[in-house]
Amino acid sequence: MTSTSTTTLSTPRLVIYACGAAFVVLLASIPAFAGSYLTSFVLALMISFVLAQSWDWVNGQMGYLNLGHFAFYGIGAYAFAILLTRGVQIVPCFAAAIFFASLAALLVSLPLFRLKGDYFAFATLAIVPLCELLANNFEGLTKGSEGITLPPDYVLVPAYILAALLVALTLATTLWLMRSRFGYALRAIRNDEQVAEVAGVRLFPYKAATLMLSAAFAGLAGSIQAWQFSYIAPNTMFNLGVALVPIAGALLGGSGLLLGPLFGMVLFSSLEQALLVKMSHLREAVLGVVIILIGRFLPGGLLRAKWISRHDLLSWLSRESHFEIGGHRHATAGERLPLVHREVDTDRIVLECQGATMAFGGNVAVNNVSLKIRQGEIVGLVGPNGSGKTTLFNLISGIYRPRSGRILIEGRDIADFRADEITRLGIGRSYQIPRPFAELTVRENIAIGRTFGASKTKLLESMRTADIFANFVGLGGLLEQKAELLSLQQKKALELARALAAEPKLLLVDEVASGLSTVEIAAFVKHIRDIRDQYGITIIWVEHIFSALSQVVDRLIVLDSGAVIADAPLAEAMRDERVLTTYLGHAAGEAK
Amino acid sequence: MPLDIFVQILLNGILLGGIYALVAFGLSLVYGVAHILNIAHGTLLAISGVIASLIYLVTSWHPVLIIPLIVFPVFAFGYLFHAALLRPLASRGKHDETIGTVLITTGALIAMSDITGFAAGTQQRNIPVRSEMLEFGDIILPMAQIWILAGIVGLTIALHFYLKYAWFGRAVRAVTQDPFGATICGVNGPRARALTFAAGSGLVAVAGVLYALIYPVDPYMGFSLTVRAFTIIVVGGIGNLAGAMIAGLMLGVAEAFTAFLWSPKWAPAISVILLLIILVVFPRGLASWQKT
Repeated sequence: MTSTSTTTLSTPRLVIYACGAAFVVLLASIPAFAGSYLTSFVLALMISFVLAQSWDWVNGQMGYLNLGHFAFYGIGAYAFAILLTRGVQIVPCFAAAIFFASLAALLVSLPLFRLKGDYFAFATLAIVPLCELLANNFEGLTKGSEGITLPPDYVLVPAYILAALLVALTLATTLWLMRSRFGYALRAIRNDEQVAEVAGVRLFPYKAATLMLSAAFAGLAGSIQAWQFSYIAPNTMFNLGVALVPIAGALLGGSGLLLGPLFGMVLFSSLEQALLVKMSHLREAVLGVVIILIGRFLPGGLLRAKWISRHDLLSWLSRESHFEIGGHRHATAGERLPLVHREVDTDRIVLECQGATMAFGGNVAVNNVSLKIRQGEIVGLVGPNGSGKTTLFNLISGIYRPRSGRILIEGRDIADFRADEITRLGIGRSYQIPRPFAELTVRENIAIGRTFGASKTKLLESMRTADIFANFVGLGGLLEQKAELLSLQQKKALELARALAAEPKLLLVDEVASGLSTVEIAAFVKHIRDIRDQYGITIIWVEHIFSALSQVVDRLIVLDSGAVIADAPLAEAMRDERVLTTYLGHAAGEAK
Repeated sequence: MPLDIFVQILLNGILLGGIYALVAFGLSLVYGVAHILNIAHGTLLAISGVIASLIYLVTSWHPVLIIPLIVFPVFAFGYLFHAALLRPLASRGKHDETIGTVLITTGALIAMSDITGFAAGTQQRNIPVRSEMLEFGDIILPMAQIWILAGIVGLTIALHFYLKYAWFGRAVRAVTQDPFGATICGVNGPRARALTFAAGSGLVAVAGVLYALIYPVDPYMGFSLTVRAFTIIVVGGIGNLAGAMIAGLMLGVAEAFTAFLWSPKWAPAISVILLLIILVVFPRGLASWQKT
């Protein structure tokens, strides 16, 4: 096994860092040679960029459209102004701006993250008018619609320098998010939240922390702007028209791209400034039309336009950041998976269901199911379509809670466990309809399973060893391929690799073989046996291809209409009259 | 609180809530069928109200005559807006489609408010119809308000029966439940969506005229109504007219009492706070308790 262990972003990192440093130096030197008009324009631009970029952490990385981001800017500005006018020192005032903006984010994240998609977007939009109302009504604190006037010191240059530092920090945070375990949790959430949870990502803390992080940056940006404006009022701090400018800017450039929000915001702010100079009326109308045009004609933003993504020198601008391992690592064909070998003790019970029942409305999908799975077993779970096999898997992996009955994993009742906790207890699963993280590569999919699963391997190490798992399931040549481009069978294989990489004790395999050719089925059967024999992993396999199942399972559990109708060693179950009539029929003959 | 004042506030709240419900119907239909979060929905009401009040100012026509004068152009505008800007987004991924509709409808909100403010002025207007007063003891009710209430009730019932029994109404409900299935069964999905968007716009234009008969309107007031309408459809359930009517009335009454007992400036906060509370108490949306 040879490996060159330099890890790189897909974009040339050195160039980015050099350009970034030059950019920040140039930015910081503007007040030295430019007049106050240009300086305050660039300052406003930097503030807008911080807002656009911090908004995009929630949208571009995590996939949540937060239309209330601007409220955190206003809250920061108000916290700063209220304290400053009461004689508090300047540094605690900035700290308070950060603190109250994050606190507001924490408070709203409790109700808001119960929503998804459109509902989330709309509910967040209600935050801006709510804050305007509060700022207008709490007159004792905010002076209502009159607004707060700050001490008229000349602070343009210090405010400018502070904003430039904040811009540098914002860019650094973006880079960190693109490479870190935290960032991958967000991207897993963006791609498929439920699968992310089953892969071991604890959802709420990540979502709340991301919203708080973005709010903290917005709050600080608001306080810097308030410091420089030296006057704030509800209708300027919580104005709906202004609120959407950073969002439109980020989307104009390209959400989720390293330089998208920066590029878009520069364009948008320049346009705004030009309108301010040229037009006395209908400025907002023109901006509104521009926003309409961005929404209509620029899905993905300017940086994802064809003439950029196909240009030799510019194409890196439109590439999303993906983890790649430099050099070529040649994982040998039969290389051992980096999993701990578990000693098999066939007397230990890995999973026990005691009268587990699940109903959807009046439809009882799983009816009083009791079963025990011993360590090291390969159990086939069969039954007609709709007999409750996948629902039982969903109960075991914590997606559904049983209506009654208990499910025990190694003796522990999982009633109070979330799906991610159950994964870390050592339950891995694949989905009948494959659900890999579509926009991430094969390598990233496997590494997410590994780093957030029971193995708790570090992200970098998980990325490095992902190829062994990919080889094992036959995806060795496709490591940098996006999962959405794989065929159905390859997606199923990827799911198996992702589940295995998490280092499970019990693997739930849901119809992976259907659609495979005879040769592939034979290989897959061998895989299942190897997983048990070499790594001591217990397996429950749901499969309709009975001839494949019968080659490897020790025991057969047969479901019909949600109930267990047989639970016996393979040979015995195949002679069972009920099993033959309800399910096996001709398949039993075929297997013989 | 004396009974007569209580009843007076209750009636005012019911009237206000009825108009809110009318606004919510349009949003609910548009969201249910076309999956468009129309952020400019309330702004259409504001602009319809402003135009209606200008027409009244010039012509002094009866408001019933003004309604069709406003509704048909708004209907046509809605149809064209959908066809030109929103319909092409359907080919995008889910998240990109949401972003596109948010940008387009918000851009439209900003542009429409600004253009109307520029052309008609930013001041508050209304339709100052004179109306006889009905007196029940100490309770005084303008006849106009009773007619408005009757209009809202009639419109709701007509809409309900249309959606339930007319061919197009059934098609609309089919598209709401399963767009693909509806297409297979011969419903022209894109046309149903465009017409629903237009109908939702027309409905809110009616609400705009009624609103201007009672309350002042200005080009910038629309968004707060959109927020209320959104709260109402979250409470009442998407595409559920009865639910929206009940939720609308509740919100209107709650706002009327808040304004009286506490302060008018806190009344607009009710809808947002109500929304947040509901999201905490019923995390899966109100649909969850409707089913159980």
